[in-house]
Amino acid sequence: MSAPGKPEPTGAISRARTGDADAWGELYREYAPAIFRFCRRALPTREDAEDATMDIFAKLMRDNRLQQYDQSRSFTAWLYKVAANHCWDTLRRRKTRQDKETEDLENVPLEHPDPNQLDRLIEQKTSEEVRRALDKLGSRARMALVMRYYSDMSYDEIADALGVRRAFVGVVLLRARHELRQALGQSGALAAGGAT
Amino acid sequence: MRADENLSGDAGQHLDEMTCLLYIERQLDRARAQEVSAHTQECAACRTLLRALERESRLLTRAMLEEEEALPARLAQFQERARRSMQWIWTVAFGLAATGVYALYTGYIEPWQTELEKAGFGGSNLLSLLIFQGAFWKGWQPMITLLEVLALVTVAGFALAFFRKRVRRGSALALVLTGFCALLLQPASVMASETRHAESVGVAQDEVIKGDIFLFGNRVRVDGTVEGDVFLFGQNANVNGHVKGDVIAFAQMLDVNGQVDGNVRAFTNTLTIRGTIAKNVLTFDELMNVESGGKIGGSLTLFVENLNLEGTVGKELFMFGKHLMLSGKVDGEIKMKGDLMTIESSAQVGSPIHFEGNKEPEVSPQAKLASPVDYHKSEHKPHYMEGHYYVWQVIWLAAFVLFGLVLFQLMPKFAAEAVASAERYGASFGLGVLVFFGVPIAAVIACVTVVGLFVGISAFFIWYAALYFAQLIVGALVGQWLMGRTQETWPLIGRMAVGIVIVRLATVVPIIGGWVKFGVMLWGLGAISLALYNRFQPTLTASAPSGPYMPPPLPPNTTVGGMQPA
Repeated sequence: MSAPGKPEPTGAISRARTGDADAWGELYREYAPAIFRFCRRALPTREDAEDATMDIFAKLMRDNRLQQYDQSRSFTAWLYKVAANHCWDTLRRRKTRQDKETEDLENVPLEHPDPNQLDRLIEQKTSEEVRRALDKLGSRARMALVMRYYSDMSYDEIADALGVRRAFVGVVLLRARHELRQALGQSGALAAGGAT
Repeated sequence: MRADENLSGDAGQHLDEMTCLLYIERQLDRARAQEVSAHTQECAACRTLLRALERESRLLTRAMLEEEEALPARLAQFQERARRSMQWIWTVAFGLAATGVYALYTGYIEPWQTELEKAGFGGSNLLSLLIFQGAFWKGWQPMITLLEVLALVTVAGFALAFFRKRVRRGSALALVLTGFCALLLQPASVMASETRHAESVGVAQDEVIKGDIFLFGNRVRVDGTVEGDVFLFGQNANVNGHVKGDVIAFAQMLDVNGQVDGNVRAFTNTLTIRGTIAKNVLTFDELMNVESGGKIGGSLTLFVENLNLEGTVGKELFMFGKHLMLSGKVDGEIKMKGDLMTIESSAQVGSPIHFEGNKEPEVSPQAKLASPVDYHKSEHKPHYMEGHYYVWQVIWLAAFVLFGLVLFQLMPKFAAEAVASAERYGASFGLGVLVFFGVPIAAVIACVTVVGLFVGISAFFIWYAALYFAQLIVGALVGQWLMGRTQETWPLIGRMAVGIVIVRLATVVPIIGGWVKFGVMLWGLGAISLALYNRFQPTLTASAPSGPYMPPPLPPNTTVGGMQPA
């Protein structure tokens, strides 16, 4: 998950583990913008994202959570995982997650939507429209899409963060896509499926 | 119905969307993926659906990665906020520095002011005496304005440092340019006075100068009449004529043989007065002679090694020096701090004499004194045996840290570059020696040229300030040795504070302390010069553009897409 050609800041991580404030500064400068953007996608408002970014780094520093990081793995991925957990906790505390979302997981969608209609929808929509539609999604749907398509987290990591079984991650993602299509204004046939 | 039971389910003849999604996300087991792959070879609708889902994935990724939102200022300042718990240290440092300034004023400046007022300098305080009322700078009013402008520019610099994240680049540039324009306007008024510059220069015997005159040269002579002030810059200077204003001189040797109706302010090696000075004399010399024909109507204040006074002083005599040889007449009080006072038989003093020195004054019994010499032997108790010595060290230390705090905040990048340059030990020391001796010499040379006066004086002041800055740079480097490297401003300031404590401690060690201080100055001065030199070097390769908060290049989704089974 590391950026191509971009080495992991192993030196700074090692020093930060020993409490070196400068090393923390380096890591913060390097990763705070990306974590902020992640939080910006995952949380409802910009202020929430700013608070979350600060909280994430403050907790990492205060609790020295870097000790839990396995240096053989990608630091970026680990950091995203921490951020995802934090954002999901934040949303859960606010009770913005709807209970029915859990129930929905039991009903696996088996539709076969009209592929040409889906193709046309994707063709017509701009990134800006997709971003606006993302803002309209439920917390879990948006969180799942951000984790998967922004920070490239694995199904296991998403399952961990959302607290669902791994087998349901696909369902969560698919339902999130349906929500998105609805938000994009083309819900009906696409989300419900039609062609057989 | 369980989701994993349906992962392999078809919707009639076609694959369901769930299976397609898991397929493109490479979440199916190998066998099922092969089935899906085989099916899509045959089924155009499922192939289209797979492609559509892939495109949807890419659209999602693009939409989320595309909009680059800059890191908000609140987050950029987060680190600083985290360090606010340490802010009390700076408050204490500021408080100590303010206390130091107050103590300096009440302990040294105010008593001096009183003494100087007695000496006929007048003025309500020393600052206005020296600068604003122009007793010292008389005739240099443009320079006073310059000081005010510099003060304003300094304030503007502080404001810029504070608002730099808030003001637009154009506004900041405009502010800086305005400051520079104001500065550039200043030399013009200095040039308004008449100026002469030559190897041998002066005012001829029958010549009358109506205003002020600036004279620059190796040999400077004023034989005629000057109705304003005379400014002398030269090696050998003679004032044989009549100056109705003041004489301000920077010369190796100055002889005043004529008449000066105003004051004389001189910085010389040897000053000889044979003529008449109606008002006061303030001078810094190695040797001063007031010969028998020489008369000073006002007071004589001097910092000198040896004073040979055969002539007359109408008011008080204040001397900081080594040896006073008095055979002339002083009507006012004498106050001297030095090594030895010799009063010869021909001497006449109309007021009390106070002498603090190392040796008993040698007073001839024939000398006519208003009262016996009030002598106090100088006490040479080691400084470090006195309590206030430590108080002063702490105050100076706080002042240093405060000075460094301001400089490092105003010029964080340059400070970091200078600290980095200090690690090039040889180059720093070499350049330091060159700059330490070279700049004052160049400044003096610049001063004796017409256009270089402003440049010369400015260079000297900058050089002098750099001596202090040099200690801060070395302090920061020492701090880095102890606490590790950093490129950030606040950690660098922290290291500077720790380092300067160590440097200051080293410089107060008896005997070697002075050498340590000298070495630190050379080293730091060289580092500053090296950093400046590097700044003006052309960049050979184009550097990659980088903003202060460049995001780390996080990878876009790379697993989405692809028809290969897992």
